[in-house]
Amino acid sequence: MRMQLKYWLVLVLAGLTSMTSAQETFKELDETEINFLFNYYEQDGDNGAVQGGRGTEELSNVAPSLIVNIPLDTVKNLIAYIGFDNYSSASTDRIDDPYLENINLSTASSSDTRFYTNITYQRKNNAAKVTQSYKAGVSVEYDYTSISAGYGFAKESKDQNRELSLSGMAYFDTWQLIFPTELRGTDGLNNEKQRQSFNFTSTLSQVINKKLQASISGELVYQTGRLSTPFHRVFFNDGESNIFLKERRTEKLPDTRFKIPLGLRLNYYLNDYVVLRGYYRYYYDDFGITANTFEIETPIKIHSTLTIYPFYRYHIQTAADYFKPFGQHELTDEFYTSDYDLSEINTTSLGFGFKYSPIYGLARFKGPFSKKTGKVTKFKSVEVRYADYTREGNNANDPGGGDLDAYSLSFNMTFTF
Amino acid sequence: MKRNSLIIGIVILAGMAFQSCVSVEAYQKIYLNDENMELNARKVAVYETNFQAYREGASGANGGKTGGGCGCN
Repeated sequence: MRMQLKYWLVLVLAGLTSMTSAQETFKELDETEINFLFNYYEQDGDNGAVQGGRGTEELSNVAPSLIVNIPLDTVKNLIAYIGFDNYSSASTDRIDDPYLENINLSTASSSDTRFYTNITYQRKNNAAKVTQSYKAGVSVEYDYTSISAGYGFAKESKDQNRELSLSGMAYFDTWQLIFPTELRGTDGLNNEKQRQSFNFTSTLSQVINKKLQASISGELVYQTGRLSTPFHRVFFNDGESNIFLKERRTEKLPDTRFKIPLGLRLNYYLNDYVVLRGYYRYYYDDFGITANTFEIETPIKIHSTLTIYPFYRYHIQTAADYFKPFGQHELTDEFYTSDYDLSEINTTSLGFGFKYSPIYGLARFKGPFSKKTGKVTKFKSVEVRYADYTREGNNANDPGGGDLDAYSLSFNMTFTF
Repeated sequence: MKRNSLIIGIVILAGMAFQSCVSVEAYQKIYLNDENMELNARKVAVYETNFQAYREGASGANGGKTGGGCGCN
């Protein structure tokens, strides 16, 4: 009898053990996540590159987009990013205005829409702690088409405190060259030029202690092909004071560019209410631009469901070797631009965001796939972000040149099912 | 010279920080797993990164100034 009891006890224990291990090997599939994003951007300045560094830069842009993250199984994910930009620009309206008069022409160039999509297929090997990503993308607008492809590899340490990631991207772009109306040759709008960009990025992330983690990243970027914008005018120092008679050409830049940005990110969990997020970036390129960027963001937890985060960003850069303000380029210059984006500037961005994410979500409802999946759709969180952006020019012989004001308002609504 | 010193200083600081790392077990990562501690920019900040890349010639690793939105201006 005692032998029989022992036998049953061993059998039950063995059964329980096998059940437990069966439960452990079963892993529920992650939820599909959809982010609906929206942005409104507006800017104004007086240094439009289309008019040779003078004239309006007034512009507004509306940009909705969608990010969908679909787990295909426990180790594979598909991430799709789809969106469009619809802009209206007073500056590009001047492409067809040889006299640069300050009137609203509403030409075909005054507004445009860009559609874009990027797809990433990600596969994890949990045993080897390796993640591989395959990326492809396309972006289409009236005069510019870009096709991209890339590969990413990430290896995590055994204790998951360190990760090294390497990735490469290649962009193959085609310009339809639209020159300012008075500089258009006999080819009209039938000119096409190529541009290729090759990016290699490596990032090392490291947990430093229970409250501090950091990442350091380096990039190498090589661009070749048509790097100058065909509809940017440049006016020369030819002694002519009458703008209509002054020598003008379209922007000309070298056909290769090499960039090296280096970044350092440091996040510190100060206490249960405040987190400090710091970022520094150094930039160098062979156009002659060097730059330093600092950013600090401090998320503050007002409530377990509500976080607000003020942020401040400061950027300072030197001018490209080929930049000069309106009418200051010599006729003998090999390369020339009056685009103030490439000039000596410092910029500040000041803003705040808030994120509301209740534990059980803002709402639950039956979505389009509920019948199939048996899951309800959860409106998980809402995030709003506002940034005020100021650019100040520091260009010699051109006080106030390069100044620009802008603001950006963004939303992100997250759903899971 | 000043700029080079700054970069060297930052690299040394980063090196020191990485040197002083301690092994943190999975169950000790309650603070590190906070969503605000993620070592990436926020999804909602992607638009700002985009217009900054255009308005500042020192853009990062995208295709460079191309078009769309504020890129053409």
